[in-house]
Amino acid sequence: MNSEFQAHQIRDIIKINYKYTMGGQSKFFLELMNNKKILGAKCTKCGKVWMPPRINCSDCFVPADWSEVKQTGIIEVSTIVWFTTSAFIENIPYAIAYVKLDGADTALLQGIFSENLVPSKIKKGKRVNAVFQKEREGKMTDFFFVPEDEYLNWINKPEFEGGE
Amino acid sequence: MRKVAIIGVGITPFKTRYLDKTYFELAYDATKLVLEDANKNGAEITHKELQSTVYGIYNELFERQFMPDIFINSYIGMNNKPGTRIASGGATGGYTVRMAYSEVASGLSDLCLCLGVEKCNDCYDEQTGTTTPEVLNSIAYSADMTYEYPMGMMAASSYVSMVNAHFEEFGNPTEEQMALVSVKNHGNAMNNSKAQSPMKITVEDVMNSRIICYPFKLLDCCLYSEASAALILASEDKVNELKVENPIWITGVGAANTDCFIGNREDMGRLYSNIHAAKVAYKMAGLDYDKIKSQIDLAELHDAFSGQEVLSYEELGFVSFGEGGNWIESGGPLIDGELPCCPSGGLIGCGHAVGATGIMSTGEAALQLRGNAGKHQVKTIENGRAISHSIGGPGAAYAAVIVMENEEGISEK
Repeated sequence: MNSEFQAHQIRDIIKINYKYTMGGQSKFFLELMNNKKILGAKCTKCGKVWMPPRINCSDCFVPADWSEVKQTGIIEVSTIVWFTTSAFIENIPYAIAYVKLDGADTALLQGIFSENLVPSKIKKGKRVNAVFQKEREGKMTDFFFVPEDEYLNWINKPEFEGGE
Repeated sequence: MRKVAIIGVGITPFKTRYLDKTYFELAYDATKLVLEDANKNGAEITHKELQSTVYGIYNELFERQFMPDIFINSYIGMNNKPGTRIASGGATGGYTVRMAYSEVASGLSDLCLCLGVEKCNDCYDEQTGTTTPEVLNSIAYSADMTYEYPMGMMAASSYVSMVNAHFEEFGNPTEEQMALVSVKNHGNAMNNSKAQSPMKITVEDVMNSRIICYPFKLLDCCLYSEASAALILASEDKVNELKVENPIWITGVGAANTDCFIGNREDMGRLYSNIHAAKVAYKMAGLDYDKIKSQIDLAELHDAFSGQEVLSYEELGFVSFGEGGNWIESGGPLIDGELPCCPSGGLIGCGHAVGATGIMSTGEAALQLRGNAGKHQVKTIENGRAISHSIGGPGAAYAAVIVMENEEGISEK
Protein backbone atom coordinates (compact mmCIF):
# COMPACT_ATOMS: atom_id res chain seq x y z
CA MET A 1 0.00 0.00 0.00
CA ASN A 2 1.32 3.45 -0.86
CA SER A 3 1.37 5.40 2.43
CA GLU A 4 3.08 8.64 1.30
CA PHE A 5 3.02 11.15 4.13
CA GLN A 6 0.76 14.16 3.75
CA ALA A 7 1.20 17.05 6.23
CA HIS A 8 -1.76 19.02 7.54
CA GLN A 9 -0.84 22.64 8.32
CA ILE A 10 -3.09 25.23 9.97
CA ARG A 11 -2.94 29.04 10.10
CA ASP A 12 -2.76 30.36 13.69
CA ILE A 13 -1.68 33.48 15.59
CA ILE A 14 -0.81 34.40 19.19
CA LYS A 15 -1.74 38.03 19.99
CA ILE A 16 -1.80 39.82 23.37
CA ASN A 17 -2.75 43.45 24.02
CA TYR A 18 -1.00 45.45 26.77
CA LYS A 19 -1.40 48.63 28.76
CA TYR A 20 2.17 48.41 30.03
CA THR A 21 3.47 50.66 32.80
CA MET A 22 6.95 52.04 32.46
CA GLY A 23 7.09 52.02 36.25
CA GLY A 24 10.01 53.95 37.71
CA GLN A 25 11.18 54.78 34.19
CA SER A 26 7.94 56.70 33.47
CA LYS A 27 9.52 60.16 33.91
CA PHE A 28 12.02 59.46 31.13
CA PHE A 29 9.21 58.83 28.66
CA LEU A 30 6.97 61.65 29.90
CA GLU A 31 9.81 64.21 29.63
CA LEU A 32 10.68 62.86 26.18
CA MET A 33 7.08 63.16 25.02
CA ASN A 34 6.13 66.46 26.67
CA ASN A 35 9.39 68.45 26.74
CA LYS A 36 11.80 66.78 24.28
CA LYS A 37 14.22 66.19 27.14
CA ILE A 38 16.48 63.15 27.41
CA LEU A 39 16.96 62.15 31.04
CA GLY A 40 19.70 59.91 32.31
CA ALA A 41 19.87 58.57 35.86
CA LYS A 42 22.84 59.53 38.05
CA CYS A 43 23.82 57.24 40.91
CA THR A 44 23.67 59.11 44.23
CA LYS A 45 26.83 57.28 45.35
CA CYS A 46 29.21 56.66 42.44
CA GLY A 47 27.86 59.35 40.11
CA LYS A 48 27.59 57.04 37.09
CA VAL A 49 24.98 58.30 34.62
CA TRP A 50 22.96 55.39 33.25
CA MET A 51 21.47 55.60 29.74
CA PRO A 52 18.99 53.95 29.29
CA PRO A 53 18.13 55.28 32.75
CA ARG A 54 17.50 53.03 35.75
CA ILE A 55 16.17 54.50 38.98
CA ASN A 56 18.51 52.34 41.04
CA CYS A 57 22.26 51.98 40.47
CA SER A 58 22.97 48.29 39.78
CA ASP A 59 26.61 48.75 40.82
CA CYS A 60 26.05 50.49 44.20
CA PHE A 61 22.53 49.33 45.07
CA VAL A 62 21.41 52.85 45.96
CA PRO A 63 18.86 55.15 44.25
CA ALA A 64 19.80 57.22 41.21
CA ASP A 65 18.59 60.78 40.51
CA TRP A 66 17.23 62.05 37.21
CA SER A 67 19.92 63.97 35.33
CA GLU A 68 19.34 65.54 31.92
CA VAL A 69 21.96 64.62 29.30
CA LYS A 70 22.85 66.55 26.15
CA GLN A 71 21.04 65.87 22.88
CA THR A 72 24.36 65.34 21.13
CA GLY A 73 26.64 62.36 21.36
CA ILE A 74 29.18 60.10 19.71
CA ILE A 75 28.68 56.81 17.85
CA GLU A 76 30.40 53.91 19.64
CA VAL A 77 29.44 51.18 17.15
CA SER A 78 26.91 50.87 14.33
CA THR A 79 25.52 48.60 11.63
CA ILE A 80 23.23 48.86 8.63
CA VAL A 81 20.48 46.24 8.52
CA TRP A 82 19.55 44.80 5.11
CA PHE A 83 17.45 41.80 6.17
CA THR A 84 15.32 41.70 9.26
CA THR A 85 12.22 40.60 11.10
CA SER A 86 8.69 40.65 9.72
CA ALA A 87 7.95 43.70 11.90
CA PHE A 88 10.74 45.83 10.38
CA ILE A 89 11.25 44.41 6.89
CA GLU A 90 9.46 47.38 5.29
CA ASN A 91 12.11 49.70 6.78
CA ILE A 92 15.25 48.16 5.23
CA PRO A 93 17.89 49.36 4.87
CA TYR A 94 18.06 51.03 8.29
CA ALA A 95 20.94 51.87 10.61
CA ILE A 96 21.21 51.40 14.35
CA ALA A 97 24.03 52.43 16.64
CA TYR A 98 25.08 52.53 20.26
CA VAL A 99 25.45 56.23 20.98
CA LYS A 100 27.11 57.70 24.06
CA LEU A 101 25.23 60.94 24.71
CA ASP A 102 27.29 63.80 26.11
CA GLY A 103 26.89 63.54 29.88
CA ALA A 104 26.07 59.80 29.94
CA ASP A 105 28.42 56.99 30.96
CA THR A 106 26.73 54.17 29.04
CA ALA A 107 25.61 53.95 25.41
CA LEU A 108 22.03 53.92 24.16
CA LEU A 109 20.83 51.94 21.15
CA GLN A 110 19.03 54.21 18.68
CA GLY A 111 18.17 54.51 15.03
CA ILE A 112 20.52 56.61 12.89
CA PHE A 113 18.88 58.38 9.97
CA SER A 114 21.05 59.75 7.19
CA GLU A 115 20.57 61.19 3.71
CA ASN A 116 23.57 59.08 2.70
CA LEU A 117 23.38 55.80 4.58
CA VAL A 118 26.84 54.28 4.16
CA PRO A 119 29.06 52.68 6.84
CA SER A 120 31.68 55.46 6.73
CA LYS A 121 29.05 58.12 7.52
CA ILE A 122 28.00 56.42 10.77
CA LYS A 123 31.20 54.80 12.01
CA LYS A 124 32.70 54.95 15.49
CA GLY A 125 33.62 58.47 16.55
CA LYS A 126 31.06 60.27 14.36
CA ARG A 127 29.04 62.92 16.20
CA VAL A 128 25.25 62.84 16.07
CA ASN A 129 22.33 65.06 17.13
CA ALA A 130 18.89 63.99 18.37
CA VAL A 131 15.89 64.82 16.16
CA PHE A 132 12.36 64.51 17.53
CA GLN A 133 9.07 63.49 15.97
CA LYS A 134 6.52 66.31 16.09
CA GLU A 135 3.87 63.71 17.05
CA ARG A 136 5.28 61.96 20.13
CA GLU A 137 3.82 59.02 22.08
CA GLY A 138 6.29 58.62 24.95
CA LYS A 139 8.22 55.82 23.26
CA MET A 140 11.80 55.35 22.09
CA THR A 141 10.60 55.94 18.53
CA ASP A 142 9.85 59.58 19.49
CA PHE A 143 13.42 60.45 18.53
CA PHE A 144 16.40 59.30 16.51
CA PHE A 145 19.91 60.49 15.73
CA VAL A 146 21.34 62.10 12.59
CA PRO A 147 24.93 62.97 11.62
CA GLU A 148 25.67 66.46 12.98
CA ASP A 149 26.20 67.94 9.51
CA GLU A 150 22.67 66.85 8.49
CA TYR A 151 20.92 68.16 11.62
CA LEU A 152 19.48 71.37 10.12
CA ASN A 153 18.14 69.52 7.08
CA TRP A 154 16.31 67.01 9.28
CA ILE A 155 14.70 69.46 11.68
CA ASN A 156 13.40 71.49 8.74
CA LYS A 157 11.34 68.52 7.50
CA PRO A 158 7.63 68.99 8.36
CA GLU A 159 7.26 65.88 10.56
CA PHE A 160 10.39 66.46 12.71
CA GLU A 161 11.79 69.13 15.01
CA GLY A 162 14.89 69.87 17.05
CA GLY A 163 15.15 69.74 20.82
CA GLU A 164 14.74 72.81 22.98
CA MET B 1 29.95 16.64 44.20
CA ARG B 2 29.68 13.25 42.54
CA LYS B 3 31.39 12.40 39.24
CA VAL B 4 29.04 12.60 36.24
CA ALA B 5 29.40 10.87 32.86
CA ILE B 6 27.70 11.15 29.50
CA ILE B 7 26.68 7.56 28.71
CA GLY B 8 24.53 8.21 25.66
CA VAL B 9 24.20 10.68 22.79
CA GLY B 10 21.16 10.99 20.52
CA ILE B 11 20.91 13.60 17.77
CA THR B 12 18.24 13.80 15.08
CA PRO B 13 19.14 15.26 11.69
CA PHE B 14 19.11 19.10 11.68
CA LYS B 15 16.66 20.12 8.95
CA THR B 16 15.02 23.26 7.61
CA ARG B 17 11.62 21.84 8.32
CA TYR B 18 10.07 18.65 9.61
CA LEU B 19 6.60 18.63 8.08
CA ASP B 20 6.13 15.13 9.46
CA LYS B 21 6.94 15.87 13.13
CA THR B 22 5.79 18.17 15.91
CA TYR B 23 8.30 19.36 18.52
CA PHE B 24 7.27 16.63 20.97
CA GLU B 25 7.54 13.96 18.26
CA LEU B 26 11.07 15.20 17.45
CA ALA B 27 11.94 15.08 21.17
CA TYR B 28 10.67 11.49 21.28
CA ASP B 29 12.98 10.59 18.38
CA ALA B 30 16.05 12.00 20.16
CA THR B 31 15.07 10.17 23.36
CA LYS B 32 14.83 6.93 21.43
CA LEU B 33 18.21 7.58 19.79
CA VAL B 34 19.92 8.38 23.09
CA LEU B 35 18.60 5.19 24.71
CA GLU B 36 19.82 3.14 21.72
CA ASP B 37 23.26 4.74 22.02
CA ALA B 38 23.48 4.10 25.77
CA ASN B 39 22.46 0.49 25.19
CA LYS B 40 25.06 0.11 22.45
CA ASN B 41 27.54 1.03 25.18
CA GLY B 42 26.18 -1.68 27.43
CA ALA B 43 23.71 0.21 29.62
CA GLU B 44 20.63 -1.97 28.94
CA ILE B 45 18.09 0.62 30.04
CA THR B 46 14.73 1.93 28.86
CA HIS B 47 13.09 5.30 29.48
CA LYS B 48 11.59 3.77 32.64
CA GLU B 49 15.03 3.78 34.30
CA LEU B 50 15.57 7.51 33.66
CA GLN B 51 14.85 9.33 36.91
CA SER B 52 14.49 12.92 35.76
CA THR B 53 14.59 15.17 32.72
CA VAL B 54 16.07 18.60 32.13
CA TYR B 55 14.52 20.18 29.03
CA GLY B 56 16.24 22.77 26.86
CA ILE B 57 13.62 24.69 24.89
CA TYR B 58 14.23 28.33 24.05
CA ASN B 59 11.17 29.87 22.48
CA GLU B 60 7.50 29.34 23.21
CA LEU B 61 6.57 31.28 20.08
CA PHE B 62 8.40 28.79 17.84
CA GLU B 63 6.60 25.89 19.47
CA ARG B 64 3.23 27.75 19.50
CA GLN B 65 3.00 26.48 23.08
CA PHE B 66 3.88 27.89 26.45
CA MET B 67 5.45 25.36 28.86
CA PRO B 68 6.18 22.97 25.98
CA ASP B 69 8.25 20.75 28.31
CA ILE B 70 5.21 19.28 30.06
CA PHE B 71 3.77 18.08 26.75
CA ILE B 72 7.08 16.40 25.89
CA ASN B 73 7.15 14.91 29.39
CA SER B 74 3.83 13.22 28.63
CA TYR B 75 4.88 12.08 25.14
CA ILE B 76 8.17 10.47 26.20
CA GLY B 77 6.61 8.57 29.09
CA MET B 78 8.23 10.50 31.92
CA ASN B 79 5.08 11.16 33.94
CA ASN B 80 5.43 11.28 37.74
CA LYS B 81 9.13 12.17 37.62
CA PRO B 82 10.72 15.60 37.97
CA GLY B 83 11.23 17.66 34.83
CA THR B 84 12.79 21.12 34.72
CA ARG B 85 12.92 23.44 31.75
CA ILE B 86 15.82 25.72 30.92
CA ALA B 87 15.47 28.70 28.56
CA SER B 88 18.65 30.77 28.11
CA GLY B 89 18.44 31.96 24.52
CA GLY B 90 21.07 30.47 22.23
CA ALA B 91 22.88 29.15 25.30
CA THR B 92 19.87 27.04 26.31
CA GLY B 93 21.63 23.81 25.36
CA GLY B 94 24.79 24.49 27.38
CA TYR B 95 22.80 25.67 30.37
CA THR B 96 20.62 22.55 30.12
CA VAL B 97 23.71 20.34 30.26
CA ARG B 98 24.85 22.33 33.30
CA MET B 99 21.53 21.78 35.08
CA ALA B 100 21.44 18.07 34.17
CA TYR B 101 25.00 17.78 35.49
CA SER B 102 23.85 19.39 38.74
CA GLU B 103 20.92 16.98 38.97
CA VAL B 104 23.32 14.02 38.98
CA ALA B 105 26.32 15.58 40.77
CA SER B 106 24.06 16.62 43.66
CA GLY B 107 22.72 13.11 44.12
CA LEU B 108 19.14 14.00 43.19
CA SER B 109 19.28 11.57 40.24
CA ASP B 110 21.53 8.72 39.15
CA LEU B 111 20.27 8.75 35.57
CA CYS B 112 19.11 12.02 34.05
CA LEU B 113 17.84 12.75 30.56
CA CYS B 114 19.14 16.02 29.11
CA LEU B 115 16.82 16.79 26.20
CA GLY B 116 16.77 19.79 23.87
CA VAL B 117 14.40 20.50 21.03
CA GLU B 118 13.35 23.38 18.83
CA LYS B 119 11.08 23.68 15.85
CA CYS B 120 11.13 27.24 14.51
CA ASN B 121 9.89 27.04 10.96
CA ASP B 122 6.22 26.65 11.77
CA CYS B 123 6.42 30.46 12.13
CA TYR B 124 5.22 31.98 8.87
CA ASP B 125 5.34 35.52 7.50
CA GLU B 126 2.27 36.14 5.37
CA GLN B 127 3.75 39.36 3.85
CA THR B 128 6.70 37.64 2.19
CA GLY B 129 5.28 34.12 2.03
CA THR B 130 8.38 32.82 3.82
CA THR B 131 9.25 31.63 7.31
CA THR B 132 12.47 33.51 8.19
CA PRO B 133 11.22 37.08 8.89
CA GLU B 134 8.62 35.69 11.30
CA VAL B 135 11.18 33.37 12.94
CA LEU B 136 13.44 36.42 13.38
CA ASN B 137 10.56 38.39 14.87
CA SER B 138 9.77 35.70 17.43
CA ILE B 139 13.47 35.79 18.40
CA ALA B 140 13.57 39.60 18.43
CA TYR B 141 11.09 39.61 21.32
CA SER B 142 14.10 38.43 23.36
CA ALA B 143 15.60 41.91 22.91
CA ASP B 144 14.74 44.50 25.56
CA MET B 145 11.17 45.39 24.59
CA THR B 146 11.29 48.98 25.83
CA TYR B 147 14.57 50.37 24.50
CA GLU B 148 15.97 47.97 21.89
CA TYR B 149 13.24 45.99 20.11
CA PRO B 150 11.55 49.22 18.85
CA MET B 151 14.79 50.16 17.05
CA GLY B 152 14.66 47.01 14.90
CA MET B 153 17.23 45.14 16.99
CA MET B 154 17.49 41.41 16.26
CA ALA B 155 20.01 38.60 16.64
CA ALA B 156 22.29 39.48 13.72
CA SER B 157 22.38 43.22 14.49
CA SER B 158 23.16 42.47 18.12
CA TYR B 159 26.07 40.12 17.33
CA VAL B 160 27.38 42.33 14.55
CA SER B 161 27.56 45.27 16.96
CA MET B 162 30.01 43.33 19.15
CA VAL B 163 32.03 42.11 16.15
CA ASN B 164 32.18 45.65 14.70
CA ALA B 165 33.32 47.03 18.05
CA HIS B 166 36.04 44.35 18.16
CA PHE B 167 37.08 45.34 14.64
CA GLU B 168 37.28 49.01 15.67
CA GLU B 169 39.59 48.01 18.54
CA PHE B 170 41.88 45.47 16.84
CA GLY B 171 41.39 45.83 13.06
CA ASN B 172 40.01 42.29 12.83
CA PRO B 173 38.20 40.07 12.07
CA THR B 174 38.23 41.32 8.49
CA GLU B 175 35.44 40.29 6.14
CA GLU B 176 37.81 37.79 4.52
CA GLN B 177 38.80 36.28 7.89
CA MET B 178 35.12 35.89 8.79
CA ALA B 179 34.54 34.23 5.42
CA LEU B 180 37.25 31.67 6.24
CA VAL B 181 35.19 30.55 9.26
CA SER B 182 32.17 30.09 7.03
CA VAL B 183 34.22 28.09 4.50
CA LYS B 184 35.60 25.89 7.32
CA ASN B 185 32.27 25.17 9.01
CA HIS B 186 30.22 24.61 5.87
CA GLY B 187 33.08 22.37 4.70
CA ASN B 188 33.26 20.35 7.94
CA ALA B 189 29.52 19.75 7.63
CA MET B 190 30.15 17.91 4.32
CA ASN B 191 31.23 14.95 6.47
CA ASN B 192 28.33 15.17 8.93
CA SER B 193 25.23 13.38 7.69
CA LYS B 194 23.06 15.19 10.26
CA ALA B 195 24.03 18.70 9.10
CA GLN B 196 21.59 21.04 7.39
CA SER B 197 24.07 23.16 5.40
CA PRO B 198 26.99 21.09 4.08
CA MET B 199 28.66 23.21 1.38
CA LYS B 200 32.00 23.29 -0.39
CA ILE B 201 32.44 27.04 -0.85
CA THR B 202 35.16 29.65 -1.24
CA VAL B 203 35.89 32.97 0.45
CA GLU B 204 34.59 34.65 -2.73
CA ASP B 205 31.26 32.81 -2.43
CA VAL B 206 30.86 34.17 1.10
CA MET B 207 31.94 37.68 0.08
CA ASN B 208 29.45 37.63 -2.81
CA SER B 209 26.50 36.36 -0.78
CA ARG B 210 23.90 39.00 -0.01
CA ILE B 211 24.36 41.46 2.81
CA ILE B 212 22.32 40.80 5.98
CA CYS B 213 23.71 43.22 8.55
CA TYR B 214 26.86 45.13 7.65
CA PRO B 215 29.35 43.46 7.32
CA PHE B 216 27.69 40.05 7.93
CA LYS B 217 26.61 38.35 4.73
CA LEU B 218 24.20 35.46 4.31
CA LEU B 219 26.94 32.81 4.41
CA ASP B 220 28.38 34.34 7.61
CA CYS B 221 25.15 33.48 9.41
CA CYS B 222 23.84 30.16 10.70
CA LEU B 223 20.40 29.10 9.51
CA TYR B 224 17.62 28.42 11.97
CA SER B 225 16.95 24.73 12.10
CA GLU B 226 14.60 22.09 13.46
CA ALA B 227 16.05 19.23 15.50
CA SER B 228 16.28 17.51 18.84
CA ALA B 229 19.34 16.32 20.75
CA ALA B 230 19.65 14.30 23.94
CA LEU B 231 22.25 13.05 26.40
CA ILE B 232 21.94 10.58 29.25
CA LEU B 233 24.00 11.60 32.27
CA ALA B 234 24.89 9.05 34.91
CA SER B 235 26.55 9.02 38.30
CA GLU B 236 29.81 7.10 38.75
CA ASP B 237 27.99 4.41 40.76
CA LYS B 238 25.50 3.96 37.95
CA VAL B 239 28.26 3.82 35.32
CA ASN B 240 29.87 1.00 37.31
CA GLU B 241 26.58 -0.78 38.04
CA LEU B 242 25.51 -0.73 34.37
CA LYS B 243 29.06 -1.56 33.18
CA VAL B 244 28.88 1.22 30.58
CA GLU B 245 31.73 1.27 28.09
CA ASN B 246 33.21 4.55 26.95
CA PRO B 247 31.78 6.93 29.56
CA ILE B 248 32.71 10.54 28.85
CA TRP B 249 33.17 12.42 32.11
CA ILE B 250 31.99 16.00 32.52
CA THR B 251 34.85 17.51 34.48
CA GLY B 252 34.19 21.23 34.09
CA VAL B 253 30.99 23.25 33.96
CA GLY B 254 31.06 27.02 33.70
CA ALA B 255 28.37 29.58 33.00
CA ALA B 256 27.98 33.33 33.25
CA ASN B 257 25.56 36.05 32.21
CA THR B 258 27.06 39.36 31.23
CA ASP B 259 25.18 42.65 30.80
CA CYS B 260 22.40 42.18 28.22
CA PHE B 261 22.72 45.87 27.30
CA ILE B 262 25.82 46.00 25.10
CA GLY B 263 25.96 49.78 25.70
CA ASN B 264 26.58 49.16 29.42
CA ARG B 265 29.76 47.13 28.80
CA GLU B 266 33.21 48.53 29.38
CA ASP B 267 34.28 47.23 25.95
CA MET B 268 31.43 46.63 23.52
CA GLY B 269 33.60 44.25 21.49
CA ARG B 270 33.58 41.63 24.27
CA LEU B 271 31.27 38.77 25.13
CA TYR B 272 32.40 38.87 28.75
CA SER B 273 30.12 35.91 29.53
CA ASN B 274 32.42 33.70 27.44
CA ILE B 275 35.50 34.70 29.43
CA HIS B 276 33.88 34.09 32.80
CA ALA B 277 32.21 30.82 31.79
CA ALA B 278 35.45 29.46 30.32
CA LYS B 279 37.56 30.36 33.35
CA VAL B 280 35.11 28.69 35.74
CA ALA B 281 34.86 25.53 33.62
CA TYR B 282 38.62 25.21 33.08
CA LYS B 283 39.41 25.78 36.75
CA MET B 284 36.90 23.14 37.80
CA ALA B 285 38.53 20.69 35.37
CA GLY B 286 42.01 21.57 36.64
CA LEU B 287 42.95 23.21 33.34
CA ASP B 288 44.63 26.52 32.59
CA TYR B 289 42.95 29.40 30.66
CA ASP B 290 46.32 30.46 29.24
CA LYS B 291 47.32 26.98 28.07
CA ILE B 292 43.91 25.57 27.17
CA LYS B 293 44.67 25.30 23.45
CA SER B 294 47.29 22.61 24.13
CA GLN B 295 45.25 20.88 26.84
CA ILE B 296 42.21 19.96 24.73
CA ASP B 297 41.81 18.10 21.42
CA LEU B 298 38.86 19.96 19.93
CA ALA B 299 36.19 22.55 20.62
CA GLU B 300 32.58 22.57 19.48
CA LEU B 301 31.93 26.32 19.46
CA HIS B 302 28.74 28.34 19.21
CA ASP B 303 29.33 29.90 15.77
CA ALA B 304 25.98 31.65 15.31
CA PHE B 305 27.88 34.14 13.14
CA SER B 306 31.33 33.68 11.59
CA GLY B 307 32.82 36.87 13.06
CA GLN B 308 31.66 35.95 16.52
CA GLU B 309 33.43 32.55 16.31
CA VAL B 310 36.64 34.57 15.84
CA LEU B 311 35.91 36.53 19.04
CA SER B 312 35.31 33.21 20.82
CA TYR B 313 38.85 31.99 19.97
CA GLU B 314 40.11 34.89 22.09
CA GLU B 315 37.53 34.86 24.86
CA LEU B 316 37.87 31.11 25.43
CA GLY B 317 41.63 31.53 25.78
CA PHE B 318 42.84 29.82 22.57
CA VAL B 319 44.72 32.95 21.41
CA SER B 320 45.32 36.38 22.92
CA PHE B 321 42.96 39.30 22.31
CA GLY B 322 43.26 40.69 18.81
CA GLU B 323 44.84 37.47 17.45
CA GLY B 324 41.63 35.63 16.45
CA GLY B 325 41.65 36.88 12.88
CA ASN B 326 45.26 35.82 12.34
CA TRP B 327 44.57 32.40 13.86
CA ILE B 328 41.80 31.49 11.38
CA GLU B 329 44.03 32.80 8.57
CA SER B 330 46.85 30.49 9.73
CA GLY B 331 44.50 27.49 9.68
CA GLY B 332 44.67 26.90 13.46
CA PRO B 333 40.98 25.96 13.91
CA LEU B 334 40.71 23.73 10.81
CA ILE B 335 39.82 20.06 11.39
CA ASP B 336 43.46 19.09 10.86
CA GLY B 337 44.80 22.29 12.46
CA GLU B 338 46.29 23.17 15.82
CA LEU B 339 42.93 22.94 17.62
CA PRO B 340 39.98 21.78 15.51
CA CYS B 341 36.98 24.06 16.11
CA CYS B 342 33.49 22.90 15.10
CA PRO B 343 34.52 19.62 13.42
CA SER B 344 30.78 18.84 13.21
CA GLY B 345 30.24 21.97 11.13
CA GLY B 346 28.96 23.93 14.13
CA LEU B 347 25.87 26.07 13.78
CA ILE B 348 26.91 27.47 10.41
CA GLY B 349 27.27 23.95 9.02
CA CYS B 350 24.65 22.02 11.00
CA GLY B 351 22.03 24.72 11.56
CA HIS B 352 20.83 26.22 14.82
CA ALA B 353 17.95 24.37 16.49
CA VAL B 354 18.29 26.61 19.50
CA GLY B 355 17.36 24.44 22.52
CA ALA B 356 18.95 21.40 20.87
CA THR B 357 22.11 23.12 19.65
CA GLY B 358 24.29 23.16 22.78
CA ILE B 359 23.25 19.59 23.56
CA MET B 360 24.20 18.56 20.02
CA SER B 361 27.58 20.34 20.45
CA THR B 362 28.22 18.61 23.77
CA GLY B 363 27.12 15.26 22.32
CA GLU B 364 29.33 15.78 19.27
CA ALA B 365 32.36 16.52 21.48
CA ALA B 366 31.59 13.38 23.53
CA LEU B 367 31.36 11.26 20.36
CA GLN B 368 34.73 12.65 19.26
CA LEU B 369 36.30 11.61 22.59
CA ARG B 370 34.77 8.15 22.18
CA GLY B 371 36.15 7.91 18.63
CA ASN B 372 32.59 7.53 17.35
CA ALA B 373 32.18 10.77 15.37
CA GLY B 374 32.22 8.99 12.02
CA LYS B 375 33.45 10.75 8.88
CA HIS B 376 34.24 13.98 10.72
CA GLN B 377 36.25 12.25 13.45
CA VAL B 378 39.23 14.35 14.56
CA LYS B 379 42.34 12.23 13.99
CA THR B 380 44.39 13.47 16.93
CA ILE B 381 42.61 12.72 20.19
CA GLU B 382 45.71 12.91 22.39
CA ASN B 383 44.65 14.69 25.56
CA GLY B 384 41.32 12.87 25.68
CA ARG B 385 39.65 16.17 26.39
CA ALA B 386 37.23 18.54 24.60
CA ILE B 387 34.97 21.50 25.24
CA SER B 388 31.56 22.59 24.07
CA HIS B 389 30.44 26.20 24.12
CA SER B 390 27.02 27.86 24.07
CA ILE B 391 26.10 31.53 23.95
CA GLY B 392 22.92 33.45 23.38
CA GLY B 393 20.34 35.95 24.47
CA PRO B 394 20.34 39.72 23.99
CA GLY B 395 23.91 40.85 23.40
CA ALA B 396 24.91 37.17 23.80
CA ALA B 397 24.51 37.74 27.53
CA TYR B 398 24.35 34.02 28.39
CA ALA B 399 27.32 31.68 28.03
CA ALA B 400 28.10 28.14 29.11
CA VAL B 401 31.25 26.05 28.65
CA ILE B 402 31.42 22.30 29.31
CA VAL B 403 34.70 20.36 29.63
CA MET B 404 34.60 16.63 28.88
CA GLU B 405 37.22 13.92 29.24
CA ASN B 406 37.48 10.26 28.31
CA GLU B 407 39.14 7.71 30.62
CA GLU B 408 42.57 8.53 29.19
CA GLY B 409 42.06 12.24 29.72
CA ILE B 410 41.12 11.60 33.35
CA SER B 411 44.04 9.23 34.03
CA GLU B 412 46.63 11.60 32.55
CA LYS B 413 45.96 14.28 35.14
